[in-house]
Amino acid sequence: MARDANRGGGLEARLARLEAIVAALERDDLELEQALALFEEGIQHIRHARELLRQAELRVEQLQVEEDGTVVIEPMDRGEP
Amino acid sequence: MTLDLFGANDTWSEAPRFVAERKAAPRAYTVSAVNALARRLLEGTVPPLWVAGEVTGWKRHGSGHCYFTLRDANARLRCVMFRTDAQRLPTDPEEGMEVRALGTLTLYEKGGEFQLVVRELEAQGAGGLWRLAFERLRARLEQEGLLAPERKRPLPRFPATVGVITSPDGAALHDILHVIERRAPWTRVLFCPARVQGEGAAEDLARALSVFYVAPIAEVLIIGRGGGSVEDLWAFNEEVLARAIAASPIPVVSAVGHEIDVTIADLVADARAPTPSAAAELVVPDRLALGREVAILTARMRAAVGRRVSSARDEVDGLRDALNDAIGQTLRRRAERLEVVAGRLDALSPLAALRRGYAVPLGEDGRILRSARQFEPGGRVRLRVVDGRVDCRVEGVSLEPEVRGHGA
Repeated sequence: MARDANRGGGLEARLARLEAIVAALERDDLELEQALALFEEGIQHIRHARELLRQAELRVEQLQVEEDGTVVIEPMDRGEP
Repeated sequence: MTLDLFGANDTWSEAPRFVAERKAAPRAYTVSAVNALARRLLEGTVPPLWVAGEVTGWKRHGSGHCYFTLRDANARLRCVMFRTDAQRLPTDPEEGMEVRALGTLTLYEKGGEFQLVVRELEAQGAGGLWRLAFERLRARLEQEGLLAPERKRPLPRFPATVGVITSPDGAALHDILHVIERRAPWTRVLFCPARVQGEGAAEDLARALSVFYVAPIAEVLIIGRGGGSVEDLWAFNEEVLARAIAASPIPVVSAVGHEIDVTIADLVADARAPTPSAAAELVVPDRLALGREVAILTARMRAAVGRRVSSARDEVDGLRDALNDAIGQTLRRRAERLEVVAGRLDALSPLAALRRGYAVPLGEDGRILRSARQFEPGGRVRLRVVDGRVDCRVEGVSLEPEVRGHGA
């Protein structure tokens, strides 16, 4: 799943982290330096999330099981059945 | 040509042909020949027909052939349904079930048995054998706990990869892809094709599912098809598919286009959707909603940090004021103490004494003379007063009795 770190899987983690950051900042019991560091981190996550949400093209791949049992993944042309 | 099978009223023994045959020279046919004749007659005369009755004594042999009897109030008919036809039955009928059987009348030559070779069998009553098969499997799976609500896993909120199992033809795949592209185009879709109806479809679907079980390549699966008749959808009611779904290590969403009731696959899956499109909506987030959520979080974060910085600023101001106060106070206290000490010092200083009117006698060598013993009559003494010196000569000296305190 590491290759999906910048795709949906990363999105889940990013949003969870962002929610945690906001909750921590709202609790208001942090040192100023800590608060600013969390803010910086939050900005990063927001930037990446926005980038992801702006993406337009869907990636579809087809799985084929070969005779010897291995599974092959190939990009699928949406036009073809 | 219509067949009048049951028209004859005459009894056989009176028929002219019977009497003639008895009179002629006896010519006996073999049993085999007679049975063969009867069989040919039956099969050649009576076209395939539907027979309605009650099923009794149903036996499915290891060979796959099924033997049973159909009966009504007055008569019984032995039946056989051979493997190739019997395997298409959704399930075995129950004892006493009312059915309709399509078949051909024949004679089993070896045994001399009149029977109906059944090609199709349907149960009367709502849903027929399909309903019965469904209920039987449902009960069995329920007993094994495979339908329990506790088994249903939550779907991942933002799956990176979605697996899709359906027919490569047909609208289901297209609908699913369309919805995912609209809502969450960053999602990776892995499609494994399978037949969704007909012989072996259930096995094909199960096999396609299991491809996703070997390695964690997807986080959630959609398995489904568009609408159809009970027979069309039957693969989704079969045990092999149900068990394959139950064995999945990741959540499965069943999406069988419903014009009728739920399927077994729907019951076993972690979630079900009425159509493939609805399944896609269930599985991927909506980027518009996500965008809004990110915007809200952003606003909250900025507000929270803004507040934090403000309060930090206030804190600094407060500290500064406090520092100023503290310094001020310290300085004042010091000044006060200084005053006090200065006062005391002053009080102790010889100048204060001089100011008060005392004079300090100094000897010729400049030393302070404290005791009367240090004076000689006629001697010279210098007096230090507050504003100058006075040179004096001693006229006379008298010692007072012992004075406590200051000695020479």
